[in-house]
Amino acid sequence: MSFDLNFIGILIGAIMASSVPLILAASGELITERSGVLNLGVEGMMIIGAISGFALMVITDNLFLAVIGSMLSGLIISIIFGVLTQSLLTNHVATGLALTIFGIGMSAMIGKNFVGIPGKEFPLLFINLKENFPFLGPILFGHSIILYFAFLLPFLTNYFLKKTKIGLIIRAVGDSPTSASNQGINVTLVRYSCILYGGAMCGLAGAYLSLIYTPQWIENMTGGRGWIALALVVFATWSPIKVLIGALIFGGITILQLHMQAVGLRIPVQLLSALPYIMTIIVLVVISRDSRKIKLNTPTSLGQIFYKEK
Amino acid sequence: MNTKLKVSNISKTYPGCIANDKVSLEFGSGKIYALLGENGAGKSTLVKILSGVVKPDEGEVFLNDESIKLNSPLDAKKNNIGMVFQHFNLFETLSVFENLSIDSYKKDEDLRALVNEILKKYNFKIDLDIPVLNLSAGQKQKVEIIRCLIRNPKVLIMDEPTSVLTEQETDDLFISLKQFSKDGILIIYITHKLKEVLSLCDEVAVMRKGKVVSVSNTIDEKIESLANKMVGENLNTIKKKINNFKNSEEILKISNLNFKSDDPYETNLNNLNLSLKKGECLGIAGISGNGQNELFQILSGEIIAEGTSIMFRNKEIGRLNPRERREYLMAFSPEDRISQAAVPELKIYENVALNNFKSSNFFEKGLVNEKKIKEHSKKILSNFSVNTDNVELKSQFLSGGNLQKLIIGRELITSPELLVCFNPTWGLDVGAINYIHETLIQINEQGKSSILISTDNDELLKLSDRICVIYKGKLSKIMNADTVTAEKLGILMGGGSID
Repeated sequence: MSFDLNFIGILIGAIMASSVPLILAASGELITERSGVLNLGVEGMMIIGAISGFALMVITDNLFLAVIGSMLSGLIISIIFGVLTQSLLTNHVATGLALTIFGIGMSAMIGKNFVGIPGKEFPLLFINLKENFPFLGPILFGHSIILYFAFLLPFLTNYFLKKTKIGLIIRAVGDSPTSASNQGINVTLVRYSCILYGGAMCGLAGAYLSLIYTPQWIENMTGGRGWIALALVVFATWSPIKVLIGALIFGGITILQLHMQAVGLRIPVQLLSALPYIMTIIVLVVISRDSRKIKLNTPTSLGQIFYKEK
Repeated sequence: MNTKLKVSNISKTYPGCIANDKVSLEFGSGKIYALLGENGAGKSTLVKILSGVVKPDEGEVFLNDESIKLNSPLDAKKNNIGMVFQHFNLFETLSVFENLSIDSYKKDEDLRALVNEILKKYNFKIDLDIPVLNLSAGQKQKVEIIRCLIRNPKVLIMDEPTSVLTEQETDDLFISLKQFSKDGILIIYITHKLKEVLSLCDEVAVMRKGKVVSVSNTIDEKIESLANKMVGENLNTIKKKINNFKNSEEILKISNLNFKSDDPYETNLNNLNLSLKKGECLGIAGISGNGQNELFQILSGEIIAEGTSIMFRNKEIGRLNPRERREYLMAFSPEDRISQAAVPELKIYENVALNNFKSSNFFEKGLVNEKKIKEHSKKILSNFSVNTDNVELKSQFLSGGNLQKLIIGRELITSPELLVCFNPTWGLDVGAINYIHETLIQINEQGKSSILISTDNDELLKLSDRICVIYKGKLSKIMNADTVTAEKLGILMGGGSID
């Protein structure tokens, strides 16, 4: 019996690990969108984070530098988006799409020399406690620091948005940039900051993939996770806690359907692979039915270009 | 506590338009000042300059004889200039308290105490912890005012504050403003409503085409004298003669209109019944958001209300779409000119063609008959004195008044038997309003009927033969216009009842 429980614990640990990049990227994008900016470049920023993290690890042999570098590179590439949409007033959707395409191409180019190089072992915390407790051990212990951070992040984000002054200002800008500007709030500065923060989080999400989850560089290794993160934010109706739930469901069903495939159930593989997407959407739609809450949480100005009257 | 505010030689030019042309004015505390002018006269630009939203090209602002720089809204706040804009600067999805705390440096508890004190002092009743989108327009305005009062303003500028208020709310606002004035706050009141100037303000400055054309004491002015200064020409006042329709033919009958919406932000309609005689104008008053939108859409066929009977000229049309209803000679002029009535990016003649129905022959074998549409459009432009004869012009370049003339003209040129219009003069200047009013009276005189849904009581009293009030999706009893006063309407609009 204890073997079975332990197996479920390991399974849950694996699910948690697979949802980390989604939580990180979606939490970052959530802040960006709450300020009224729709950045569809999540996938691009993630993959840039993944390659720069991996490349830095290979070059410097220092994981700390690699992680910080991946966040910086996500941030830097999001500056391009910021300058275009906030200073040059380009369309958010088109610019975001361009950013994704740019990121994927750029990462493939840089990554050419890093294909096939083995990754470095990332330090895991409380690894000795993992064995001591059946079931709970593999769930709570033996993870990287980034995983712990990721699971804390939605709660921090929630607190930040609801309880702090800066959070209030971000929500206000997302609600009505014109009103905010008339109140003396520097809308462009707020939006820039949110874009950069989103970029950094996407970079970190990418680094988690290439340094910890599958420690190597493979072209296109984000595999659409950026798009899932984007969808999570919307289907979670801009609520950080629901983003966490959605990411866990997605990660959970992804892992479970892999096991089901391995067991050889007589269900078409295509259907099983589609299952995570379908279930995540269904669950999030069901838990976010309250149209009043949707209205209160939706950043009204999402995707709108703001320019100040001179 | 004496405050003196002076603007000196302010000029501001936008491409193709001089918004302010060497404007100089002086204000002192203890009085309420009116800044009067038509749309586009430059009032709003001047107040935007005073509140730091817009920078002037030239000129200076002096507060208590000191020149002040107003480069941003923050500068205005620092100089204790408070401003309540016509379009609220509130965050709809945030709570009232969050809206107030966003630009305050006070601790939350201190701010709450201060706000409660203000609420008590001026007898405002607002729940601080509900989202702003649940407030009525009058309450939203109070939130804006409180936001100014928190900062102990020396100057309070109100930009067309009554355009969204009921009569009662307007009275309340005036009482508050007089109280503020007594407390030493200098009040500048921007409006194009002449009555308000006379009942509220001590001094009035009239602006026309960017210039100040007159400054005087309101005691020396009358409605007519102010109107003429504002428009710059002599306006003849129109008055409709009240007819008796007892024996006229019934043209429209609506019975048991019920509408239940899934959207919590729409209003449900509850058992509406009304009938309309040939040649009659039925006015429907009410504060916006009480079901006017839904009623208009049901009349026009944008929404089909299940189980409702709409008899138009003895035919049941309740299930027809807008285009089919037009075939039966109904015409509609929606509230929102830009997004509902016309497509601003399209040319004038294209917008005219949008209103096609079978009998108009604008399209032949699926092709556009451009020549025919253009001729038709030219006829509308000249018959309804739209200020252009270029049918190729994009509609977005027409002023509000001209666009409205085009829309009404497009509807009327087919001589419909019934015109349903919703706030037809909203946001227009006196000249255009007069023209639209004359046109609406004219169609009644020609034996055509009209339903006028409006939030402007003066307009309703001027044009309607019978009037009713819509409140929370219910209609009051329908009254003859000559027995109705603005006061009665105000009571009904606020949910009260009259004998």
